[in-house]
Amino acid sequence: MEPTALAYLGAGIGAGLVALGAGVGIGNLAGPAMEGTARQPEATGDIRTSMIIAAALIEGVALFGLVICVLLAIK
Amino acid sequence: MDPIHHILDSFYMDFEPFGQVELPRIWVVRRSDQGLGLDVFGSTSSAIESGAYHVVSESSGVDTELAGQSAEEAHGQGAEHGGYLDAEVAPASGEIIADLSISRHLVFAWIGALFTLLVFISLAGRYRRGIGRDSAPKGIFQNLFETLILFVRDDIARPTLGEKHVKYLPYLLTIFFFILTCNLMGLLPFGQTATANIAVTGVLAVFTFVITQFGGTKDYWKHIFWPPGVPTFVKPILVPVEILGMFTKPFALAIRLFANMSAGHLMILSLIGLIFTFRASFGTAAGYGVAPLSVAFSLFIYLLELLVATIQAYIFTMLSALFIGMAVEEHHHEPDATHESVGEPMIASANAEAIALKS
Repeated sequence: MEPTALAYLGAGIGAGLVALGAGVGIGNLAGPAMEGTARQPEATGDIRTSMIIAAALIEGVALFGLVICVLLAIK
Repeated sequence: MDPIHHILDSFYMDFEPFGQVELPRIWVVRRSDQGLGLDVFGSTSSAIESGAYHVVSESSGVDTELAGQSAEEAHGQGAEHGGYLDAEVAPASGEIIADLSISRHLVFAWIGALFTLLVFISLAGRYRRGIGRDSAPKGIFQNLFETLILFVRDDIARPTLGEKHVKYLPYLLTIFFFILTCNLMGLLPFGQTATANIAVTGVLAVFTFVITQFGGTKDYWKHIFWPPGVPTFVKPILVPVEILGMFTKPFALAIRLFANMSAGHLMILSLIGLIFTFRASFGTAAGYGVAPLSVAFSLFIYLLELLVATIQAYIFTMLSALFIGMAVEEHHHEPDATHESVGEPMIASANAEAIALKS
């Protein structure tokens, strides 16, 4: 297969894997966050803030991968 | 190609049904007689018209036919799909040293900076007059921004920086509001996100990097180059990792903001572009059929984008504050066996006591 086709294939599979990774990571963090909020409703504010920060960081890592996929697809 | 085309930077501003505004081109050129010159043109078409510059086509080096075309023909070609507007332009003689042209993202970054400046200068004037200090803040404008400013100070600056937060608070406020303005501006009609440009986010990350390094205390540098509490044979491995970490943190800041912003806008444009793709592939009816679904998805992603814009501004500021805080904090180590400096004061004080007892 020619390099261009391989690049597009790589970009597509990579994007799917990135989404998978982000989903698993953020899911792993949202589950216990829900449990913690259910156990202790007074801590909802703190848990929510920490959850959002952690979610943004995990998504940042996922987007690093996405940037590489886009680079592959464009060039 | 079209969604990506709308995200990228270019040298004209696109007000789609109404037309296009071309932006000035400024080049630093080394002329054929080895002298440096500054070429300023009001627009790309005037640069091409003057004959000093021509469009470089991708296949072969120079497209001389375009240089002879009249402005209307070139513009007609341009109005279709960019054409000469998106093409690379090269000088007839000499070479371009630096391209200082005004581009879309630059214009919107200026708008963001101007907005931030205006907001803060007027707010500062109000507080200096005493409204908000001696009496309660008046009006929507002051209350809204006071809420945000207090949020930055109490939730971002104080927990991470401690007592030194006053010194770094102006910087944190500036980047928070600049990034927030730029992010939100991209969601308006005819707006572009300046932070979807790696150069803009890179520069913001460089600012954070510079402030972190210049604010670093001796403790901070010692931790990087001579990590305490680590056996000596691990240090040659750990020190390069620490130095690398010093550079990857701002790099990650830049890429995180850039990728979040461009990916979000790309998704919105792609979902709306689905309508056109379906129309092109399956006929007009399919285009109409897909439209409600596509618009609904786009609306959802749009709302998500609003959230992401705010959160990314918050995360950038929070992480900057965290890095600065880690660099400027001074804390005391517990004395351990490898620290000889702990023993010396004890010996010195013992000597002093002995001398005092003797006399």
